[in-house]
Amino acid sequence: MTHALRGRRSVAEPGRSPGKAVLFLLPALLILGALVVYPLVYSLFRSFFDASGSRFVGLSNYVETFTDPRTLIAFRNNVIWVVVAPVAVTCLGLILAVLTERIRWATAFRLILFMPMAISLFASGIIFRLVYEEDPERGVVNAAMVGVHDVFASPSPYPGARPRSEFDASEDGYTGTATVSRGGVVSLPLVGYSRQQLPDSARPVSQPEAGGTEVRGAVWLDVSAGGRPGQIDPAELGLPGLTVELLRDGAVVSKTMTGDDGRFTFPDLGPGEFSVRLPADNFALPFRGLTWLGPTLVTPVIISSWIWIMTGFAITFIAAGLSAIPRDALEAARVDGATEWQVFKRVTVPLLAPVLLTVFVTLVINVLKIFELVFVIAPGSVQEEANVLALQMWQVSFGSGGDQGVGSALAIILFLLVAPAMLYNIRRFRRERS
Amino acid sequence: MKRRSMIAALCALAFAATACGASTAGGDGELKGQSADIIGTWSGEEQVRFEKVLAAFSRKTGAQVRYTGAGDELPTVVQTRVSGGTPPSVALVAQPGFAAQLAKSGAIKPVSAEVEEAVGDNYAPIWKTLGSFDKKLYGVYFKVANKSTVWYNRKAFEDASLSVEQPASWEKFLETSRALADAGVPAVSVAGADGWTLTDWFENVYLRSAGAENYDKLAKHELSWTDPSVRVALQELAKLFGDQRLIEGGASGALQTEFPKSVTNVFGEPRKAAMVFEGDFVSGVINSSTKTVVGGDATFFSFPSVNGSAPAVVTGGDMAVQFKDDEVTNELMKFLASPEAGSVWAAEGGFLSASKGIEPASYPDDVTRELAQRILDAGDNVRFDLSDLTPAAFGGSKGTGMWKALQDFLADPKKIDETMERLETAAVKAYAP
Amino acid sequence: MTTVLSHEKREVRVVDVPVTGSPKRGPLTRFVSNLGNGAVQVGLAVVAVFWLMPVFGLLVASLRSEQANTASGWWTIFTKPAELTLQNYAELAGNETIWRSFLNTVYIAVPSTFLVVVISALAAYALAWIEFPGRDWLTVTVVGLLVMPIQVALIPVAKLFGALDLFGTIAGVVLFHVAFGLPFAVFLLRNFFTGIPVDLVEAARMDGATEWVVFRRVILPIAKPALASLTIFQFLWVWNDLLVALVFADQDSAPITVALRSQLRQFGANIDLLSTGAFLSMAVPLVVFLAFQKYFVQGVLAGSTK
Repeated sequence: MTHALRGRRSVAEPGRSPGKAVLFLLPALLILGALVVYPLVYSLFRSFFDASGSRFVGLSNYVETFTDPRTLIAFRNNVIWVVVAPVAVTCLGLILAVLTERIRWATAFRLILFMPMAISLFASGIIFRLVYEEDPERGVVNAAMVGVHDVFASPSPYPGARPRSEFDASEDGYTGTATVSRGGVVSLPLVGYSRQQLPDSARPVSQPEAGGTEVRGAVWLDVSAGGRPGQIDPAELGLPGLTVELLRDGAVVSKTMTGDDGRFTFPDLGPGEFSVRLPADNFALPFRGLTWLGPTLVTPVIISSWIWIMTGFAITFIAAGLSAIPRDALEAARVDGATEWQVFKRVTVPLLAPVLLTVFVTLVINVLKIFELVFVIAPGSVQEEANVLALQMWQVSFGSGGDQGVGSALAIILFLLVAPAMLYNIRRFRRERS
Repeated sequence: MKRRSMIAALCALAFAATACGASTAGGDGELKGQSADIIGTWSGEEQVRFEKVLAAFSRKTGAQVRYTGAGDELPTVVQTRVSGGTPPSVALVAQPGFAAQLAKSGAIKPVSAEVEEAVGDNYAPIWKTLGSFDKKLYGVYFKVANKSTVWYNRKAFEDASLSVEQPASWEKFLETSRALADAGVPAVSVAGADGWTLTDWFENVYLRSAGAENYDKLAKHELSWTDPSVRVALQELAKLFGDQRLIEGGASGALQTEFPKSVTNVFGEPRKAAMVFEGDFVSGVINSSTKTVVGGDATFFSFPSVNGSAPAVVTGGDMAVQFKDDEVTNELMKFLASPEAGSVWAAEGGFLSASKGIEPASYPDDVTRELAQRILDAGDNVRFDLSDLTPAAFGGSKGTGMWKALQDFLADPKKIDETMERLETAAVKAYAP
Repeated sequence: MTTVLSHEKREVRVVDVPVTGSPKRGPLTRFVSNLGNGAVQVGLAVVAVFWLMPVFGLLVASLRSEQANTASGWWTIFTKPAELTLQNYAELAGNETIWRSFLNTVYIAVPSTFLVVVISALAAYALAWIEFPGRDWLTVTVVGLLVMPIQVALIPVAKLFGALDLFGTIAGVVLFHVAFGLPFAVFLLRNFFTGIPVDLVEAARMDGATEWVVFRRVILPIAKPALASLTIFQFLWVWNDLLVALVFADQDSAPITVALRSQLRQFGANIDLLSTGAFLSMAVPLVVFLAFQKYFVQGVLAGSTK
């Protein structure tokens, strides 16, 4: 085991003919020089010129970039992305890659996780735009949440309905502003509810008569063709099954429910002034799930979709790395009585470290360049909250009438941001050699 | 060795690829053998229809024309082609600001005298002004949009027991909306997730409340966004946006609603709202995404007048500009400016023209005829979409400038002063030289 | 060199032997281990379902009309299976442009992938195993180019291609993809190559092998898993590219992404077209994946046969 470990650590000694390096490198350097380095240098120069490219403006494009409040949000989001997403994907990829070695359907599993990568980012973005859609009739996440919620809570009878007037709205419900004493009659015209949604049992309403020791009243839907507001018209229907409360000095003294014609009665009342309240649970709006693509949740949601896409990438490379690990190293540790966890921690992970680092760095860079996903998933109204540097660069330089100067400055900044990660990576390899 | 043969096969493939390429022949005519290429934003059905227009040109002249649909990336594609020295012959540009930029850099050429004459004959003077930069005519508006239409579902009104009466004034419109809300139907679906629909709301109210003169000044930023006329428009708008019962899903729901969804909210199943405001292209979405019939249950009324304003139309449009000055390009521009070209697409549907030369009978149905007629009727009271006239950083970018400011206004319509200040700050920055 | 490899070859059989098979373990340990294995199976199955869900949703969307898709979510097909239709596929399959663009995509993706793998393997070998002055800095620079956003290069490269007459040709598109695929490929392979046991390389050099032979006979066979994964992903990225093709290809050399996009309606969710197109164009990368993934497990074995 130790032998194998030592063997894998590269203690590279110089090749014998350095001149040959040029031959190996030539094709790559030619292409990179012409098509990548030249544009980069071009951008560097371009970043010191204004939008038209004709006037030298010094560092003002950079100043503009850093003073734009959107850049700060983009920076913040980029930090969140970089801290969370690559680590999550690398860990997930490592765990899944190791575990897939223990199942027979490893190929099928890898294929399944690879699928998201085979779909273009644009299409993936559209998928997640739909997955997290707020409307539970179209968004699967909210549909599931509403489904679970509705198992535990029954819906209110008349969601969204409200009294036409003369009511105080509070958390408890709608309380009438006028008071009534026994023998009185209360009219409770409601609006804001569709006639088509009324239960079949609803019957036309009629004006209750005053009298006795009772308070009588009617709750009806005050909407009809040519109907008078607040008046009972012939075609108007009562609202059955609605809870009505009677209050004295703010305390509930009686409670009843309306009949099919919307009428209700509070019997055997003592003297005094009462008010009538329609409790809020009659009208509670149905649970519609969460606003996933709102300002607060949008970045985590986009990160989740990126994880969905990129895990296949991590697994593929880590699996490739795993297959190169000498099996005797693992077996030796197992024979020595190490648990699977110990084997994983002490043998697999250290041997995989170069691959993991490669995957991780690649993911970090990929995260810094991400923009299509944000562009497609975040609705326009929260695009600013979900903004990332690469997206801003795209919009600044290629929105119609875009400013290539500021765009180039942003590209250079992005480039400078990644340099430390690269240096660290190289230093690490060099340390290992010495 | 197996691998060697595979490499050979790959190379063969790569070489075969460069030799491939198809071309379609033009008809017989004086331009036979010549070719032009044209870039536009259209794809799908619209592309098919536009290609019919180009086919008519080919039949007439013998020249061969190729169309590339670049979609939203049109400015990118055109800019890169120009930099690469291979510009298209003609591009159809939707943003006057982008065309102005191209004119300034010398990438596009002024139109020929013949084209200028054709534009003078067939279009209201406003269209010539819109296509001119530095006093020279560069662009011909081939296809226009009527962005002052409110579309509604008759069924929603029936269900609410309301008679279908087209509100002529903003007050009446709000009244109708409240009546719908009382009947349990959210009145309007607002596509707040797309900032451009909100700019269209604002522009229509502003054009009516502040008048065409102020509208022009505001577009050039000669008038500040903190001007009282802007406040008046926002206050009017707040009467609608500020009443959560009138908006489908309330403000937060509207901010999650994209334009196509706002249309299916009104015309699809299940129906969630009664009206949706946007341009004539709403009818295209109704056709493709719902079962409702345009001209049947789906119909429109003009954006209501505010405080007794005269009829006015906010429009958008695709302007043809030429990058070359050769014979075939000039002929193509001449063709696009002629009623002949417009009539071809008009007959296919989903097309409006600002040209007086197109016979009303060319349009396939009454609704389209009506939409086109209102643009012609408004004459010089037509105004181009204000947000498209402003720098793109202000009026045409997701998540910033006018789009974002109005989205935040929709979220909290009480913040009128704050919205005005934000708009002004963003405008100052975007208009800076 | 051969001793090390044959040693590995002998042990490689262990790969297929489950951990539980170890003779030292008692029945209790085996039971716990089996239980653990069962949990792994179930856990991975759950993960797989989670990953498949959105793809399945996309599949269902591709089998429904635009009207049905805008009206309700895909899961409603369980109650209304009658809505399913092959219409979307029929429409796309009947479109000649789509098929031509399919071929174009192959013409673009295959050479791009091949060139990137070959050129980057050569460069990575030099960067990993040949000592020359400034090597580390060159490595940092090449890899640093990874972060270069494609959009930044569009205009300068357009100028270059305009001068070279490469605009609108497949060769131009391929070159662009190769250039932007190289940094990642070099980075990946260099890191992989440096991980190869130094004894192998040194032994070969002792035997008098030239750098080319070391590269060809020692490094490449061992690097098969890395080369395979690189091939898969490079192919994928080129296959799914829209922007480069949109800018640098003309109508005749347009790949499938561009052709599919020209089917989209200007307004509308377009989910019916997008999903159908996504499935149509997904098939090829999946085949490539299946064709190359077998190298992941073959890597060690292959190294010993040379």
